[in-house]
Amino acid sequence: MSTGAPAGTATTPPDVTDGDRTDQDGAAPAALPPVTDGGVGRAVLLLLVRRALQAVGVVVAVTTACFAIMHTLPGDAAYRIAAGRYGYDFVTAASAEAVRAELGLDRPPWQQLVGWWGDAARLQLGTSLVTGADVRHEVLHGLGHTLQLAGLALLLASVLGIAAGAAAAHRPGGAVDRLVGTWVVLARSLPPFVVGLLLVVLLAVQAGLLPVAGSGTPAHAVLPALTLAVGLSGLVARVTRDAVVHVRSSEYVRFAQTRGLGAGAVLRRHVLRNVGTTLVAYLGVQALVLVEGVIVVESVFAWPGIGHTLVHGVFWRDVPVIQGTAIALALAVVAVNTVVDVATLLLDPRPRETAVVA
Amino acid sequence: MTVHLHRVVVRHAGRTLVDVADVHLEPGRAVTVVGESGSGKSLLAHAALGTLPAGLAVHGAMSIDGVPHDVGDQAGRRPLWGRTLALLPQEPVLALDPTMRVRDVVAEGAPTFARDRRAARRAALERLAGLGVAHAAGAYPHQLSGGMAQRVAFAAATIGEAPVLVADEPSKGLDVAARDDLAALLRRHVEGGGVLLTITHDLDLARALGGDVLVMREAEVLERGPVEQVLTTPTHPYTARLLAAEPARWAKAWMRDGGPPEGSPLLVHAEQVTRTLGGRRLFTGLDLDLRAGDRVALTGPSGSGKTTLGRVLLRRHPVDSGRVTHHDLARRRGRAPVQQLHQDPTQSFPAFVPLRAALGDAVRRHGVAPGRLEELLGTMRLDPGLLERRPGGVSGGELQRLAIIRAMLLHPALLLADEPTSRLDLLTQEETLDALMGQVEQQGTALLLVTHDTSLAHAVADREVVLPGGVTTPTAVLAGR
Amino acid sequence: MSTDLTAALAATSPAPRTRRRPRLLPRARAVAAAALVLVVLLALVGPFVWGGPALQELSRSLEPPSLAEPLGRDHLGRSVLSRLAHATRLSLALAALSVVTSALVGGLAGVVAAWIGRWVDTAINAVSEVLVAVPALLVVLLAAALADGSLLVLYVGIAIAQSVEWFRVVRARSAVVLAGPAVGTARMLDLSAWHVLHRHLWPELRPVLLTLAAFGVGTSVIALSTLGYVGVGLRPPTAELGLMITESLPFWSQAPWLVLAPVLVLAVTLLALLGVRREEPSA
Repeated sequence: MSTGAPAGTATTPPDVTDGDRTDQDGAAPAALPPVTDGGVGRAVLLLLVRRALQAVGVVVAVTTACFAIMHTLPGDAAYRIAAGRYGYDFVTAASAEAVRAELGLDRPPWQQLVGWWGDAARLQLGTSLVTGADVRHEVLHGLGHTLQLAGLALLLASVLGIAAGAAAAHRPGGAVDRLVGTWVVLARSLPPFVVGLLLVVLLAVQAGLLPVAGSGTPAHAVLPALTLAVGLSGLVARVTRDAVVHVRSSEYVRFAQTRGLGAGAVLRRHVLRNVGTTLVAYLGVQALVLVEGVIVVESVFAWPGIGHTLVHGVFWRDVPVIQGTAIALALAVVAVNTVVDVATLLLDPRPRETAVVA
Repeated sequence: MTVHLHRVVVRHAGRTLVDVADVHLEPGRAVTVVGESGSGKSLLAHAALGTLPAGLAVHGAMSIDGVPHDVGDQAGRRPLWGRTLALLPQEPVLALDPTMRVRDVVAEGAPTFARDRRAARRAALERLAGLGVAHAAGAYPHQLSGGMAQRVAFAAATIGEAPVLVADEPSKGLDVAARDDLAALLRRHVEGGGVLLTITHDLDLARALGGDVLVMREAEVLERGPVEQVLTTPTHPYTARLLAAEPARWAKAWMRDGGPPEGSPLLVHAEQVTRTLGGRRLFTGLDLDLRAGDRVALTGPSGSGKTTLGRVLLRRHPVDSGRVTHHDLARRRGRAPVQQLHQDPTQSFPAFVPLRAALGDAVRRHGVAPGRLEELLGTMRLDPGLLERRPGGVSGGELQRLAIIRAMLLHPALLLADEPTSRLDLLTQEETLDALMGQVEQQGTALLLVTHDTSLAHAVADREVVLPGGVTTPTAVLAGR
Repeated sequence: MSTDLTAALAATSPAPRTRRRPRLLPRARAVAAAALVLVVLLALVGPFVWGGPALQELSRSLEPPSLAEPLGRDHLGRSVLSRLAHATRLSLALAALSVVTSALVGGLAGVVAAWIGRWVDTAINAVSEVLVAVPALLVVLLAAALADGSLLVLYVGIAIAQSVEWFRVVRARSAVVLAGPAVGTARMLDLSAWHVLHRHLWPELRPVLLTLAAFGVGTSVIALSTLGYVGVGLRPPTAELGLMITESLPFWSQAPWLVLAPVLVLAVTLLALLGVRREEPSA
């Protein structure tokens, strides 16, 4: 499910019909546009507004879907909610009626939907229909575990991927490049659960080096993090390799060389900077892949994060839990992308032709 | 400091790309290599610098101040880069790191940079100030105009105080004013006792630089000598042909004094037209009438909005105020009276379709007489076999002539030619424009020629609209040839 | 680079500056294509040769592979090969259906948005901006919660998740083509909309569509098997690759082939899909 590849442009394409591209450069020195940092500030503001709208849209979409799920569940919603609150043994017709009146379950569906949105907006995520636990608490609790796992995986993937990508770019078409290329293909094509399965079988079951699943000790984190990192590292390696090859063949690197800058200075001052910009921008795409990976890997290894909670919720059709975790994961994607956008804007002064998607 | 190149040969896959017996570069005298693309002139310069790509077989000897170097050992001159040999890049905007401020790019080339960054920065600011672009020090490359980027690149290339400067097609994409500016910079380097080797296809730049000129074609130097001699009384027939291809020397049957016949019908009426783009006024209160058979050049420096004006007159671009009225230029089936030629013809054809299919659609749509396409191909000396290829497989000059055919098949009343030859060599430019103007003359088409080349405008047009760029009111100039 | 230097560069360097070069050798593509043909054959023909995926013979539980039963039998004594063939057919059929659906929905929306522009573009794009922030697996999981084991709802979920990708790619490409000088010239030449579609848009989109399709098939196969594996997808006793892996995991030490067979089919399918693509879409 590791997408992120065909990332289209998000902004409208440049108006190519306006053929006079040279219109950009006036001849007179006076035509220098003032170098204002206010431009960056404005850009950041615009970006934040756009991302905020996206976040609102995401929450509306997820809550609406959950509302729909709620209404397709068999049986009486009021009974289920009452059961969630008081436990199945204590549900009575009266308590169900009380819930119905309280939540307005007898109102027309669209009114209920608006009320549902309102609850989500006030972060009233309700309680689990299964365990009765406070969903907000569950989400916050799981989020910590998830962030631990994701952070560790991202770190591993970056170290592995950047090293492999840089090595591959050293001689494009060479043996290392082809080896890394193969790795990229393998890492990208195998779904995380298969990678996890293979690692479990090899490292835990056969070699007995690590615990198969669960949490608690640092050793428990190794396999899930490794599983996530394998998939991600392929992407990182590929992007790094392409960026390094691209930058190293650029005119500005050649110009720096002919001006007498040593290999080290060219690397430090020009290659790292520009490759870094590309990599940071790419983190945004990775957020999607990472979130999808987290959901799967947590379930495979019974890691107590929100991905695991979500799958559990889906299994038991525990709508408040599904809604809380899904909102958290989708917002995480938006948040990561917002940070990436701002960072890219600050790192790369060029006006951006294409926005980083996702 | 003197540089001698001796028997420099560059080969690739059995083809000789450069075969030059000797070149002497001396301080105080500019040397310019002119020639068309593919003549090997750039390869010669890069062979001397040691910047040729791997995979080329390079032989030859050179000496720098008496110290011998093997030209074949490209890496051998790396230690000289920046301090002894410097390269002025072709496209300055691309040669500057997009993520760095201009002053930092310039400073990193200063000899003191490794020891004392402050001093390097000061030196960079001084140099930028000396070139009149101190105000750009804090800017990023994408914020610079073409002319400014050229000066910044000049500062960056020369801050290492290298006595030998190689400029590879430095006037590419520059308008007349910026080119004169550049020539002055390069002359300054020579007058300061520097060695200068310039590679260009631009004969005017060669004239402006003075010194000696070498004319190259097909890997060899055909003729050499002082600029004023070679470029006025050439001895080699190729040089003579090259000179005759300069628009200022054209003598063509379609050239004329005065305009279209009196009482030609009005096609376009523009009234008080104003357009602002990106916060800059391109033109204000412009009035213009176009009649059938008119030939009008829209000129001005790059960025002055000439293309925009052309498209405004075609009513394919909005105006801020004023009005453009068309008379009998409406498009309908079988009639497309307004056509346009683009600077890069490859972009005006569908990329993945054979040319025959692309042209065939137009022929069918407009019921063009059978045989007319072949007839025009013959007139323009184009092989009909070219039509089986895709646009990418045809040379720029040929494709532009095919674009001309495509447009002229429909007998347009008005043709906008947007820098149709600015990417072509002199000889190809002459051939292409001759083909175009032959049709324009025959069909009585009104022509709007957008160009930054004033001599071309003089040769082709009856009238010129000069957009000054940066100034708010344009001056409409009536100019005879 | 001046033109002659560029020409020399292009002629000499094996890896020119283009960022998209074929990642795999033609031979590797041929192998990938062959592997894909095998998988498709297994899906198309297999179910007719080896019927009865749900037929239990408890007496033959965990029977090892033999000539008659090349992949042995699972813990319930069901024929693994039969189940594998049916599962592959299910996966590929769902994938093909999802790809066709999402290509039609997303691709058409992309062309329409780029062609009409203005508010139509703004409206469709706003929807895609929201959906693109929701990981595809999340969409599919929500669909799974709605589905209660229904294949139809899962299919709709997968198709929706993929349509976004199609829309974005097709819209971006189309917009560039449609706003480009070639189409501008075609309009000046008064050529028909059909000419623009047929000569300009389609040749530009075709290679992307193939890539997206291969990508989409892979995504669907992964989505379905992942849901099955974590237990929220199709319900037993359906023969489904992810389910088969989960069900046979407890018997790993006695009968590893039970796990390996579906894993192998998955891996071969996905690798082959990646391999047949001419190039990877650059990120």
